[in-house]
Amino acid sequence: MSLSKKMLRDIKINKTQFIAIFLMAFLGIFAYTGIYAEYYGLVQTSDGFYTDTNMADAWIYNTDFDNASLDKINGFTTQSDRQEVIQSQADMESKPDITLHFIEKGTISKFYATEGEDFNPNDDSGVWLDTRFAEARDLKIGDKITFEFDNRTITKEIRGLGYSPEYIYEVSPSSLTPDFNEMGFAYLSAKAYPEDLKYNTLLVKYDMSDKDFEAKLSSIDYLSLTKKEDQLSVSKFSDEMAQHKMIGDVFPIVFILVTFLTLLTTMNRIVAHQRTQIGILKAVGFKDSSIILHYLSYSFWPVLAGAILGLITGPMIIPQMFYPSMKTNYSMPSWNPGFDVSFIYIAGLMVVLSVLVTYLSCRRISKENPANTLRPKAPNVSSKAIIEKSRFWNRLSFNMRWNWRDARMNKFRALMAIVGVMGCVALLIAAFGMNDSMAELKSWEYDDIVHYESKLLLSSQANPMELYYVLNETNGSFIMQQSIEIKANDVEDTVTLLASNNTDLISYTDSNRNPIDIDEGDVSISTKLADKFNLAIGDEIRWHIVGEDDWVTSKIGQIHAEPISQGLIMSPDTLKDQGLNFTPTNIITDEKFGENLDSIKSVTTIDKMKESWDQMTTSVMMMVYVVTFVAGALAILVLYNLGILSFTEMEREIATLKVLGFKTNTLRKLLLTQNIIFTSIGFILGIPLGFYFMTLMMNAAGDSLYYIPTLTLGNIALSAVITFAIAIGVNLMFSDKIKDLNMVEALKDVE
Amino acid sequence: MSTIIEFKNVDKEYKSGEHILKAMDNVNFTIDKGEFVVILGPSGAGKSTLLNLLGGLDSVTSGQIIVNGNHVESFNDNQLTEYRAKNVGFIFQFYNLIPNLTAIENVELMKDIVDVDIDGLSVLDSVGLGNHADQFPAQLSGGEQQRVSIARAVAKQPTMLLCDEPTGALDSKTGVLILNLLQDMSNNRNTTVIIVTHNAILAEAADKVIRIKNGQIESIAVNENPMKVTDLDW
Repeated sequence: MSLSKKMLRDIKINKTQFIAIFLMAFLGIFAYTGIYAEYYGLVQTSDGFYTDTNMADAWIYNTDFDNASLDKINGFTTQSDRQEVIQSQADMESKPDITLHFIEKGTISKFYATEGEDFNPNDDSGVWLDTRFAEARDLKIGDKITFEFDNRTITKEIRGLGYSPEYIYEVSPSSLTPDFNEMGFAYLSAKAYPEDLKYNTLLVKYDMSDKDFEAKLSSIDYLSLTKKEDQLSVSKFSDEMAQHKMIGDVFPIVFILVTFLTLLTTMNRIVAHQRTQIGILKAVGFKDSSIILHYLSYSFWPVLAGAILGLITGPMIIPQMFYPSMKTNYSMPSWNPGFDVSFIYIAGLMVVLSVLVTYLSCRRISKENPANTLRPKAPNVSSKAIIEKSRFWNRLSFNMRWNWRDARMNKFRALMAIVGVMGCVALLIAAFGMNDSMAELKSWEYDDIVHYESKLLLSSQANPMELYYVLNETNGSFIMQQSIEIKANDVEDTVTLLASNNTDLISYTDSNRNPIDIDEGDVSISTKLADKFNLAIGDEIRWHIVGEDDWVTSKIGQIHAEPISQGLIMSPDTLKDQGLNFTPTNIITDEKFGENLDSIKSVTTIDKMKESWDQMTTSVMMMVYVVTFVAGALAILVLYNLGILSFTEMEREIATLKVLGFKTNTLRKLLLTQNIIFTSIGFILGIPLGFYFMTLMMNAAGDSLYYIPTLTLGNIALSAVITFAIAIGVNLMFSDKIKDLNMVEALKDVE
Repeated sequence: MSTIIEFKNVDKEYKSGEHILKAMDNVNFTIDKGEFVVILGPSGAGKSTLLNLLGGLDSVTSGQIIVNGNHVESFNDNQLTEYRAKNVGFIFQFYNLIPNLTAIENVELMKDIVDVDIDGLSVLDSVGLGNHADQFPAQLSGGEQQRVSIARAVAKQPTMLLCDEPTGALDSKTGVLILNLLQDMSNNRNTTVIIVTHNAILAEAADKVIRIKNGQIESIAVNENPMKVTDLDW
């Protein structure tokens, strides 16, 4: 009873220390659970969405799935559903591209209605529309909408708005971020099709391995097969999640480790500092167990409180900082932070470990006999290191000698300070490095490679006369950008094809950002892809344009480097040599084009492209801010805590020096020197560690981006400024303590 | 003999809440250069307060403390620091050596605060510790540590040595050696030595004995023929 009073008073007296412990536990758990909750949220929400909508395991494409072939496939699948998937244009301003799905049953990859009715496969006059497109175009339930395709026109009434699991990510091959004003999807009943319907797509669910399934399927005639993980939306979203996971694997672990270490040192020190009091309690007859229990509560309550608060607020706050930017790029009905039992385990582990350390240091002291405990602990006896015997040593100032010895005699404290700073610096460097590398990619793409002012997206039913008119008007150049599927060395990937004549509007580059030419007749593959497929010049690849059936084999003639889109580059003539048609998808030009023509769907300016790049990278940038903030906060806590620890330990020495006549300034410098030396060592060690973290994360940054981890001197300097400002700032907090130190009190008793 | 220390009507009050504790009540005395002074009194009498005021660790409530003609009571923090550095050599009950520094380094540390060239080894020799110069405090016995602390105090050639129960933590045999050393400092080097203690035996060795009680001077006695510390009946 009286001991708990003692604890409350101790906490009151040492409140900064206990607040620091509380904050450390809080911050560590907050960052850890918050960042993971964001990642688990993505996984759980998308998994839930896939499950709710019964997402297909694979899509089989053919010109027509008749009942006979369907029966055969049904023999080894658990579920199937036929669709006719057609590209159409909605009859409205700028003719946006809408992918129509005419659906037989609506049992697989179901439309997820958030407004209006659920999808009804028997309703021949309704349409269920992409809610993002509807928002962009201000369409409501009950509105009529007309689609044009293959010279047919159908008009339907909007019955429902919502999402589809196949369109979490929807974007055209020629742009980086979705433009919901220009594209969308719509689900309709097969009965809504104007005439006899042939199904070109079969959605299936199966309960065997992909390999077995492909083996079974080989007996069936079909054009192509896309498995779930290869589907564009699925793979793009899992790339995004992989990046978040990698960030989540690096940062929270560093946070938690730094927190653990600092927490443990602190608890150890607090108990050591209470040594004489433990002796007194023993001497007056308290049992060891009640003394230990008393000190256990010192770490238990603040760490528990901090961990619980972090556990609650981390998952609540951090994911909400990321989801808004995720929502602009991806479409899902809900975005909820995830929770995992491991959060509770980590929080529990933190509490248990701090209690354990307190227990160990407490037990060590209580094992000594009370008389011993009442005396101050004998300082570590040290022998002289070689450096201390040299002549050089005697020439060192008192400041340097004192700090050297202090570090030697308090190795653990020194180590903690260095490791703490190192962790924080590594986080800062990694965060800034990501920032740098993103900026580097942007400048590589938009300064070195892209020299055109505008990119005109051509309508698929463009009028050739109009196109040549535009080409002449703008002095532009045709390019073709298509998604292609590529196979080599048993690896498959969906990438981008760019067919373009040599033009001043696009420069190709090598990995050093130097301009290169792609020669006539050469098929050039991007470095990142060549690495992934393990290909060299002269090797062969097989590929086809997505949606077309002709596979071609090409020999790699060159390798180029491209920061933001991976794939093949060749000239239109080379494309024709491969037996494929050059069908321009865009016109690029250095001039502005403002005319409103049916053949031109949209015009994207370079500024808009940069904007969409920025939009695409917001979530990474958000991560950079969060990490910078938490690393900074952690650095303050680590340094303040270690500062206050060493100050309490050295209080008597400092008081003595002050009594002897040392000036406050000299003493302040003494502590500052120590602080700066530890910080410097931590800083220097933190740079390579941070660079390593950065490389880890970059590697997981998604397949389409080719990162070169970059670290500018400016950012190293910025990290240095932040770290040292914190170190010096923390030191200033102690200056007043030195000034106000009561010499008489500090010298009075041994404690 | 010249007076170098003078307390004039010194009052010192400690306030804790509404309660006022009068630790020094109208204290007056003088000390001459080179005197070996013992301040005696029961615990709580105000001995340490007196020493702290004289040493510039604490400030008076009213009255004057004149050292070498300077008014210590009017000094600000920086002047007090300078005063301590130049005039006062402290010797504490618990030695208060810097544990991170060797014996000789503890002594030569004084070079950093006063403009005196200090040969640490010869100072340590003078307290009989020349052969322990490179040891750390933790490697020395209590008596040896106290001798290092005396060496540290005299190295800067202060106006006075202020010793607060310098033998309090030592056995009596070692204590005598320490006190003898301090008496020698006074006799041979003409250093003013002021010792605070509750051990009345030491009074016979002092040039001047100041007895205090309840914050007031009880008596001031001058010994015409002080005994040698080693001759006292311990």
